[in-house]
Formats: sequence, C-alpha cells, structure tokens
Amino acid sequence: MDFYLGLIQIIGVHTLLGLSAYCVLLTGQVSLAQAGFFAIGAYVAGMLTVLAGWPIIPALIAASLVAGAMACAVGFPALRVKGLMLVVATTAFGEAVRLFFFNFNYQLERGGFRLGPHGGEGFRQIRYFPEHGWSTLDVMLFIWAVVVLVMAALWWMDRSRAGAVLRAVGEDELAAQSSGINVTAVKVTAMTVGGVIAGAGGGLFAHYTTHIEHVQFGVVLATFAVAYPILGGLSNVFGTLLAVIFIQGFLIEGLRFMGDWRNLLFGGLIVLAMNVRPRGLIDAGAIAALRRLLRNKERAGA
Amino acid sequence: MDYLDFIDSVQSVADGVLFGATYALLGIGFTLIFGVMHKINLSFAAASIGAAYASLLILAGVKAPPALVFLLAALCGGGIGALVYLVGFRFIPLANPLATLMSTVGLLLLIDEIIVHTTQGVPLNYPALFSDVIIRAGPFNLRGDLMFVFALGCACMTLLLALLYRTRLGLATRAVSQQPVAAELCGISITNVNILTFVITGVVGGLAGAMIGAAIGMLSPLLSLPLTVKGLIVTVIGGLGSIPGAIIAGLLVGGLENLFQFFRGVSERDLYIMLLLFAFLVFRPGGLFAPRAGRD
Amino acid sequence: MLELKGLTKHFGGVRAVDNVDLSVAQGEILGLIGPNGSGKSTIVNLICGLFPLTSGQVILRGTDISQVPPHTRVGMGIARTFQNIRLFGQLTVWQNLWVAQNSAEQVGNENFLRRWLGGPRRARADIDRALAFFDLAHKRDELAANLAFGEQRRLEFARALAARPALVLLDEPAAGMNAEEIDQLDARIRKLRTEGVTILLIEHHVELVMAVTDRIAVLNFGQKIAEGTPAEVQANPLVREAYLGTATAA
Repeated sequence: MDFYLGLIQIIGVHTLLGLSAYCVLLTGQVSLAQAGFFAIGAYVAGMLTVLAGWPIIPALIAASLVAGAMACAVGFPALRVKGLMLVVATTAFGEAVRLFFFNFNYQLERGGFRLGPHGGEGFRQIRYFPEHGWSTLDVMLFIWAVVVLVMAALWWMDRSRAGAVLRAVGEDELAAQSSGINVTAVKVTAMTVGGVIAGAGGGLFAHYTTHIEHVQFGVVLATFAVAYPILGGLSNVFGTLLAVIFIQGFLIEGLRFMGDWRNLLFGGLIVLAMNVRPRGLIDAGAIAALRRLLRNKERAGA
Repeated sequence: MDYLDFIDSVQSVADGVLFGATYALLGIGFTLIFGVMHKINLSFAAASIGAAYASLLILAGVKAPPALVFLLAALCGGGIGALVYLVGFRFIPLANPLATLMSTVGLLLLIDEIIVHTTQGVPLNYPALFSDVIIRAGPFNLRGDLMFVFALGCACMTLLLALLYRTRLGLATRAVSQQPVAAELCGISITNVNILTFVITGVVGGLAGAMIGAAIGMLSPLLSLPLTVKGLIVTVIGGLGSIPGAIIAGLLVGGLENLFQFFRGVSERDLYIMLLLFAFLVFRPGGLFAPRAGRD
Repeated sequence: MLELKGLTKHFGGVRAVDNVDLSVAQGEILGLIGPNGSGKSTIVNLICGLFPLTSGQVILRGTDISQVPPHTRVGMGIARTFQNIRLFGQLTVWQNLWVAQNSAEQVGNENFLRRWLGGPRRARADIDRALAFFDLAHKRDELAANLAFGEQRRLEFARALAARPALVLLDEPAAGMNAEEIDQLDARIRKLRTEGVTILLIEHHVELVMAVTDRIAVLNFGQKIAEGTPAEVQANPLVREAYLGTATAA
C-alpha cells in the first residue's frame, strides 16, 4: 500500500513541476530552468524546517517565494534571448544552480548531530514529517492538497483574461505588443509564477524524500519538467496531469513488467508520441472531439 | 603565483584549446542544424558518442588500426544522423518547434539507454593516435594525441567550410536555410537537403565523438549530458548559425575550462563556464558572430 | 493629432525612410501611397514604435512619443492593422478582441483583479457590439485560425479598434478583397470617421484611396514627393513618374 502512496506522492510533486513549466510555456518561452527553481525550493524549505525549526507550511511558503524571486530575477535577462537561445540559457542556469548546491556547505549543530546541506553528499535528515507523526497517507494528502490548489488556480487563470493574454504573447509577441499588451510584464510574471510553483514542489519533494542531493536536479529533471506539458498538450492543465501520470506510472510500474527496458522504451515512446501527436495528448482538437462525444451521449441518453 | 604555476597554467590552457577542437566540432553540428532547419537537435552530442561506440563495437575483437576506427566512427555518425532526421524531424510539422525539441530529447534518452544496454554501463577504452608522442617546446609539453585531435578537427572544419561555400550542395543548403519554400520552387528537394545536412553533421559529430574518446582515452555514457550542455553553450557563445563562431567559441571554452579547473578545481569549473555564458547573454546576446538584424 | 518631423530610418545602408515630414489632422482620413518599397510600412512601424528611429520625432497630440514603448503607445490612442494578418490563431474571435482592450481608459476604469482574473461569462457589451459591427457575431467562439480570409481581415480591423484608439493605422486593408468587400470596407471607414477617429490609410487600391481619403501623401524611395487632395495628387507629374517611370528616348 505504501508503494502506491509513494507513487502518488511522486506524481503529485512532478505535476507541480510540470505545471510550473506549463505557465512559462504558454508565453512561448521554453524554460529548462524549472528544475533549478525546484532545487532552490527544496533546499530552502529543508533548511528552514531542519535548521531554523520552522513549521512546514510557513517553510513551504517562504521556499516558494524565494524560488519565485529567483525566477523573477531570471525572467528579465531571459527577455533578451529568444527561442532556442533561451533553452540553452535556462539549461545553463539550471546547471549553475545544481553546481552551486554541489559546492554548498552549511551545517549547524542540531540535537547532537550536524545537519544541513553538505556539498556533494547532499542534504540528509530532512525529517519534519516523521518527527511530527505524519503517516505516508497524511503526506500524500498534503501534497495533493497543494496540487489541487495550484491546478484550480491555473484552471481559473486559463478561463480568465490573464490566460488569453498569456497565450496571445506566446503566439505572436509583435501582434501582442501592437495590441497594447506589455509583453515584458507578462513574460516575467509567467516566469515568476512558474518559479513559485516549482519552489512549492521542491519543498514538498525535499520533505517526503528526506534526503536531497544535487544530482537529482540536473538536466534530466529539467527536461521532464517541460516534457509533461508538451506531451500532455498546452490547451489545459489536465493534459500535464495526464502526462505525469502516464510517464511516472509507466516508468515506475513499468519496472515490474519490463525490467531494465523501461528506460529504453521511454525515449522511444517520446519520439513516437511527438510524431503521432505533435500537439500533445490533449490538444484543442481532442477537447472538441470529447465535447462532441459527450453531447452525442447526452442526446442518446435523453 | 610563481613561475612554475604560471607555466602549468599556460600548459593546461594549451591542452584545453587543443581539446577545444572537439567542442568546436560539436558546436558546429548544433549550429548547422539550427542554421538549416531553425530547430535544435538535442540528441546530437549523444549521437556523436554513440557513433564512437558503434565504431568500437563493430570492430570488436578485430585489431584494427586507430585510423580505421576513427573513419568508422565518422561513417556511423553519418548513418545515425540520417536516422535522427527520419525519426525525429521528417514527420513532424515544421511549425511545431516544441514537438521536435521533445522528439530529440526522446532520441537523446534512447541513444543513451542503447549505449548503456549494449555495454552494461562499463566504460570502454578508446584508441588514440600518437599517444606516446610528446613534443617539447621550451618549458611546455605538447601531447601528440591532443595535437592530432586538434589537427584532425581543423581539417574537418576546413573541409566543411569548403563544402558549404564552394559546392552546389552547400549553396542548396544555404538556400534552404534562408527560404525553404522558394528553394523548393527552384527545384531543390528540401527533404534531400535536410537528410544530407544531417548526414554531414552526423559525420562531423562521429568524428568529434571519436576525437573525444581518443583525447580522454575512454568512452562512457555519462559523457552525453555534459557534452550536450557544453556543445550548446559553445553554439550560443559563437552565435546561433555561425560556423566560424562555433569554432572560435569551442577553442575558447576548451581553454577557459582548463584554466578554471587549474585555479578553482573540478567541482567549480563548470560553474564558471555557466557564468561565462551568462556574461555573453547579457553583453552580447547574439554571440561572437551575431547575424545582422534584417528589415523584418 | 499626429506629427512626423524629419522621420528617418536606416537599415544598414538602406534609407528606408528619409527625412519625412507629415501631419495628420484630428478627424481626417489621410492616405499614404507609393510604389512597393517606398517606406510606407516602415513609417507605420515607426509610428507604432516597433522599430527605433534613426532620427526625427513622432509627436502625438503635442507629446513627443519617440521613446515610448509600443504597448504604451496603444494606451495613448494609436492602433494598427498588419498587412499580413497577425491574429492570435489559437484564441477565439472573442478572445482576440478581449486581450486587445488596452486603452488608458479601459485600464483605468476597471479594478485590476477583475480586469485580469474575471472570466468571460461577464457580459462584455462592447466586444459584442464590435463583433456585430464587423459582422462576426456568429463566429464569436471560433478559433481565429479557422476563419475565412475575409473574416480574418475584418477581425484584424476589429482588433485594432478594440482599444478605442484616437488614431488608427490601416496597412493595406483592401489587399485580397473583392469589390463587394471593398465597398463594405469603405462604408466601415466612413462610419469610423463619424465617430471622430483619425485614420491613416496605406493602400495600393487606387479607387478606394481616391474615394475615401481627405488628403493623400505620396512616398518614393523613403521620401515624400507629393501631398495634397486626391485630385491634386492625381494630377502631379512626380507621382506619375514614381509609378510609371520617365519616358525614355525611343
């Protein structure tokens, strides 16, 4: 049972990571920096609960805000580079964050042990949940409460003018500018919001795994972050959720049936998916088809 | 810093510049694909390493001269390049850059896993030429194998530039990169040009993979990701789409990498490379050879 | 309303716009014509702020806006259409107008949160009115990319008006239209003028320009070579030379 709860926890945290990329992708910026904001959220939240004794919710909020602030700082220079150069720049940023934590040592004496981030060894003993008697189920529900909150917020945004403006910028910056949209403000805001969401995800990640190290926040995680919304389709948030469930479920459950071949097939699966459905699993066409299907069912039932 | 340290630092920079020829080749590969198709092939570095592996595996058990291994790596690179085009680009609508980005990510993962599977994750030794030759120039030592890597890299770059700027194929490639529809209307088959571009960059990549193996002495699947990142950085610093830029940037990154390592150690070295990239992005976002802004 | 003083734009060695002086009076319809490559679209881009000036000034209602960023100029009352339509294809017709409501009044009149986070269900009478005026009400929820070419042109025009501009720059709105559509365009432009909007019309369609404009300015090789009423411009030998060339010795 714990195994499945653990799987659901991972799906939840990765959904937050995917949603953080979703925000930024809507404005047409392909950012491989989300794993970096995720890492910042993880380390900051961990340090606050372990070293400063903060309760979990303020720690998460603070971690999200720090990650968001960092994202805002990245958002401005990111404006100067377009398209694929942005991919490289954000990849480099993510790597720089990872390398920073690789070299980061900050340990304090706590209850007879030396705790805190310890360079290459990582940050061990982030034991807030066990120390406060949270069961695996409690943690899973907590994670998903945050996920549902974020998804609801983004769903609302998608239906509001903000969502339309974000997508307008993503489609055609020149036309957006000429229609009076402050493209700079929109792109930086999207990047900041993405950073906040990633930071929250990172903070939750640090606490349920209890041990984080720089290797986990590398280029592969960064590509997963954008893979979820791209594979799931950018027309709405459920696509990202579906992609996370599919990929993580496949990767982890696939372990049972395919053994070592899962990684091999995973790459192949992505290639196949992009050839067959370039706009993602859930795109505008799929939604229209779904609507028609539901309408027909209603008519048949009536 | 005393005299000996100074000599050592210059030595490491020199070694770095020689090794930088391989970064230059990787950078050329990324920049060529971008220049022609306006897309990035993230699997390029992995494919290059893969080609080097392929050359080893094909000739496994045969005592082949290193030159043959290198040649085979280049050829395998070309083949892998064509495959990458067919599987990752051919059938995906041009207007969808995100999809090709993802497909090349998928290919990167696929190639890495194939390498890990066939070799059980064990690093393989790679042959080198002139590895026991050391030329002394004053207080400096020039490693023969590195010089060979450098020389071969330069030869490759020269051939490539000649191909692009002095042949009809090169002209067709440049035409497709600037105006694909018009090029098609002039009778140039875009698919053929694209395949050929991927094959050519694949050959360059295979050679780069072989050179990297020769310079380091071994191949490991762990090389793919760091090389991808470095290759992309070289491409951006040189200017997207500029081959001379990629060459100079490759040598620059190679030399500076060793310099940073000499002064600050391996764990911090890459951090400074990132900072170098950020400095370029802030002060010279177009790269060393920025394309001139047009009317539109 | 609008004044261009010594407007100059160089692209490398090319003088796209060369020291152009132009005045557009409040409420008038000014036509801007000239052979291809004479700098008409560049002038529109300069007025909107999409290119930085090489030299000269753009003055809107007495204020020098040469350094003002493009999106702010929209807030100040300038809007434009694009020669090659640049709609937001993946947004619906309704959304295309919704995101373009960026005049200073529209921003000021509404609570920030309501403006950004409010949903579409709230009745937007002004958008529906615009859709009715442009005969697009029945395509309200259609993706812009799925519209027919004529409908896309109308949406492009509608979007330019979404921010209630005082000055509208129309960049070859009649391109690709048939006679009936051009008549409708003519009618819409005249209706717009009755609402007090100033219009700068770039067009190749000579009949439309002669019929609907109050004055015309003629460009050639980036310079203004003639200005006056449609009749005056038609009679001007320099204009004929620009379009048809000079007579050569046979």
